[in-house]
Order: sequence, then C-alpha cells, then structure tokens
Amino acid sequence: MDTPPVISVSNLAKYYGSTRGVENINFTVGPGEIFGFLGPNGAGKTTTIRMLLDLLRPTSGEIYIFGRETYAHSLEIRKRCGYIPGNFSAYGHMTGDEFLRFVASMRKTEPGLQESLVARFQLSKDNLSQKVKHLSHGTLQKLGIVQAFFHQPDLLILDEPTIGLDPLMQEEFYRLLREIQNDGKTIFFSSHNLPEVEKVCRRIAIVREGELVALETLESLKKKKLKRLQFTLSRPVPGLDLPGADFVDQKDLSYVYRVKGDIQTLLQRLSTLPIKDLTFPEPDLEEVFMAYYRKEAQDPK
Amino acid sequence: MSYFYFIWKSHRSFLLFSLIIISLFQFLILKLVTTIDYSAIIINLLEQMPEFVRTMFGEDFISMLTVDGAAAFGFNHPLVLVILSIGAIAIPSRHIAGEAETGTLELVLSFPVKRIRLLLNLYISAVVFLFLIIFCAFCSSILSIGIFHQLNFALFFKMLKIGCNLWLLFVSIMSLTMVLSSFEKEGNKVSIRVAGIVLVFYLLHYLSSWWETIQFTKPFNIFTYYQPEDLMTGQRSFLLNAVVLSSLILLCLLVSLFQFNRRDVPG
Repeated sequence: MDTPPVISVSNLAKYYGSTRGVENINFTVGPGEIFGFLGPNGAGKTTTIRMLLDLLRPTSGEIYIFGRETYAHSLEIRKRCGYIPGNFSAYGHMTGDEFLRFVASMRKTEPGLQESLVARFQLSKDNLSQKVKHLSHGTLQKLGIVQAFFHQPDLLILDEPTIGLDPLMQEEFYRLLREIQNDGKTIFFSSHNLPEVEKVCRRIAIVREGELVALETLESLKKKKLKRLQFTLSRPVPGLDLPGADFVDQKDLSYVYRVKGDIQTLLQRLSTLPIKDLTFPEPDLEEVFMAYYRKEAQDPK
Repeated sequence: MSYFYFIWKSHRSFLLFSLIIISLFQFLILKLVTTIDYSAIIINLLEQMPEFVRTMFGEDFISMLTVDGAAAFGFNHPLVLVILSIGAIAIPSRHIAGEAETGTLELVLSFPVKRIRLLLNLYISAVVFLFLIIFCAFCSSILSIGIFHQLNFALFFKMLKIGCNLWLLFVSIMSLTMVLSSFEKEGNKVSIRVAGIVLVFYLLHYLSSWWETIQFTKPFNIFTYYQPEDLMTGQRSFLLNAVVLSSLILLCLLVSLFQFNRRDVPG
C-alpha cells in the first residue's frame, strides 16, 4: 500500500480477566477502501470495533487511525469518524428529530446533508416526530445511518449496519457506501453476512474465536474455493476412508467429501471403489467462509 | 441541544414534581405551625404526663412546634429526604450505568466528546437540579414565614445554612451514586445499592441516637453531618458539616472521573 493506512492494527489483544476477547489481530485499511470484517456472532468483531473507537482499552497491541494512536488522540479521531453500533439504540424519550438535533449538537454537521439523508432513507416527518421508543427496528436503524453519515466523516465504522433494513433500503445503503467511497472516504464494514460484504468490499478479514483466520481480497479468496467430491457406491464399503478428503455428508450409498489434499492419491483410492456415479460439484464462496467459520476446519486453504 | 437541556428533558416530570411537592410541603408546614400556636398547648399537656412520656416525645418534638423547629423539621422530613434521594440517585445511575446497559453511552462516547467532560456535564446538571429544588423549597419556606409570621435575619440565615447543608448532603448521595455508576453497567442495580446504603445510613443515624453500642458509627454516617434541628439551635457547626460533606463529594467526584475515564464501555 503506497499511501499510509487509515487504520493500522497490530498485535491487538483484549482479555476480560482470564477470558480472551480477541488476540493477535493484525490488519491495515487503506484510504478509500471498503474493508469487510467478517465473522460469526461472538467471534470478536464488535470487541475489535470498540477498541478502534477507544470504547474498550486493549490489553496489548496498538491501533493507529489516521496515523494517530487511538487512546492518546481519541477525540481527534472520533471527530473524523462515523459509527453505527451493532445494536443501535437511541434515547427512547426523545423524538427522532430531537435525537438528530442532539447528535448534531455534539458534532460539526454538514448543512443540508441531514435532510438529504432523511429523504434518501425515507424517514417521514411522522417518523421523526415519534418518540424513538415507538419506532420500528428498521426505522431506528435508518436513524442510526443518518447520525453516522451526516457530518461527512472520513472514516465510517459500521457494525452490522443493515440489520432491520428491508432489501430496498439495503440496496440504497450499499449505493451510499459506494458513493462515499468514490469521495475518498474509508469504510470499515463489519458483518456476519457474506453476500452483503461481497457486494461492497474488495478486501476482507475473517475473524473466528477472537483470532484473525484470513485477510485477503475477495478475488484471492475465490481462487481458494474448496472442491467437493460427490459419489454413489454400488455396494457398501466398510471403513471407507479417502486420503486427502474430509467427510461432509452421507445418504444411503451417496457420499459427499471436501477435497483438501493431493488429488492423485485420492483418484487412485477412488479407482479401487465400486463407484456407480461420481461428480465434482463447484462449491460457492459461502462454503469457503463456512470452512473458516467452523471450528473443526483446521486448514480451509 | 445542550447536555443540561438533555438532562432536563429526561427528568423534567420528576424534577417539576419534586420541586412543587417539596416547596408546597415547606410552605404548608410553616403555615400550619405559625397559624396556631400548638407548642403552648402541647407543652401544657406534656407537663401533666408522666416522666417517661415526656422523654419519649423529647425536645425535638417540642421544638418542631415553633417556627424555627417547623422549618428545621420540614427540611428533615422523610418525604423531603425520599424525594431528594430519588433525584440524587436516579440522574447519575440512569445516565451512566443505565446508558451503558442500553447502549446509548457507547454511541455518545463515539462522538467527539471527552469522557471527563461528559461526566462533568452530567454532574453539574444534577448538582444544579438539586440546587433548584432545594432553593425553591427554601424560598417557599421564607415566603410562608414572611406571610404568616415575622421573618428576621437570624432565622433567614439559619434556614439558608440548613438549605445549603441539605444540598451538600444530596450532592454527596449523588456523588456516591456517580462512583458506583462508573463501575457498574446496570442502572437499576446501582439505584438499589445506593438506596440501600442511604437507608442503612438513615436507620443507623436514628438508632445511634439512643443505642450506645452503635454510636461509634456516627462519625462515618453522612446523616450526622446534616441535623437541621442542631443547626437551628446552634448546637452544631455548619462549617464542620460543609467541610466533611464537601470532602466526601470531592473524593467521590475524583474517583468517578478516574474510573469513568479508564473503564471499558460495555456493549
């Protein structure tokens, strides 16, 4: 990366007493990049995000945002950040409009941008005049989007931002992300949903059980698609074992295996079996991710 | 929208309720005492009672029947103490521990605002609200005395001291809540704990006045440093109360600022 990274995380660890939150997290995010941060629930995504915003203090490791250390320059960094928390919540006793005014009083907002975002995400006057506690989850999430974007931040940190949005609004949100990326803004996009990350991100990190298990571009990840082997035997074979393949599923005499090793050895072994039918179906990218997600997947590559 | 206005919006119903109830209570209690001279009647009655009955009622009861006594009694009435306690506990517990619980604290701390500044804003807002309630109660008492009795400078000054002392007592309770809130992440838990502590202090304060075994607790009890009857009769120094309570307030404020600044914000 030629230009200095917007986010630089090295050897980051967070422990809650003796319980590990995250450990050995290393990544950088470049300017103008939409960086996907994927992982199942409880993997450590939100813990990492909270440390980026200085809401949690790391046990060890360093975080630099805009070239500045997050703890020492927290205020300066937060001025240039927009954030949508994972479980976005606002003050229930305020109306939507009051809440946005409250946020605006804490930030230097761009005049006119709030109105355009409100219109874009179809927040009606009725929505904004209702108390926040009476808003639907989707409407509340839209309010979360508006408050995160309306000061034109240089860095957006989004934790599961599309939860509760209908598909049309999700598409609108992805469009907005691409637009602000074109303006040179950086986006840190955390999600457990691969298809949405695929839509907007070029580079991703996958976190599992508090550790980073992959950090690469989507293209390179696609090249690592796992091969699957599917065959049906004409008669049962006791103690069936295939070198270089992991068992996935079985139904009667039909078997599904995941190919991970040397294909020659595997083919030699297959030639000794009473095979009636054999295919190598193309797996989708989701399976690659699932392999990373699964605890039992030792080496998904 | 300033933070002060934000706190006002969050608690205005309760604050207005407290302000009206306490002020009205002070006004009426002083009107009642000053309209009829109960003290002469009760003292006459008590003189005809056996010794133990006179002891049971005590001097506090007799003094309550005078204007000075009623003013002091009004500022020490359980109703006033309970309402002010609710205010002093609710504001910090809701806006620190409670917001940590609901997730709004996480959002607010993602804005460019210093943690210390946020806490101080909240602190000052709560201090001002407590002041306003007590100030209105004070004005109401003065008004009542002025209308129904003779107001003199000495009484005015004594009541001013009682008002200030009451304010310091509840700022202490609020500061204690602030300390617990800066450690905890559940608003209700904090409220219950502080309410429990205050109740224990209050009970100990009364028990220790006649139970010798627990009198050693007196110097450690915040209610020892707020005794309006003693202030009215000049038996206790306001300065001592103010110094002790101010020290406690300062200590609690420093601890809560330190802890809030270093704490992890729960999600």
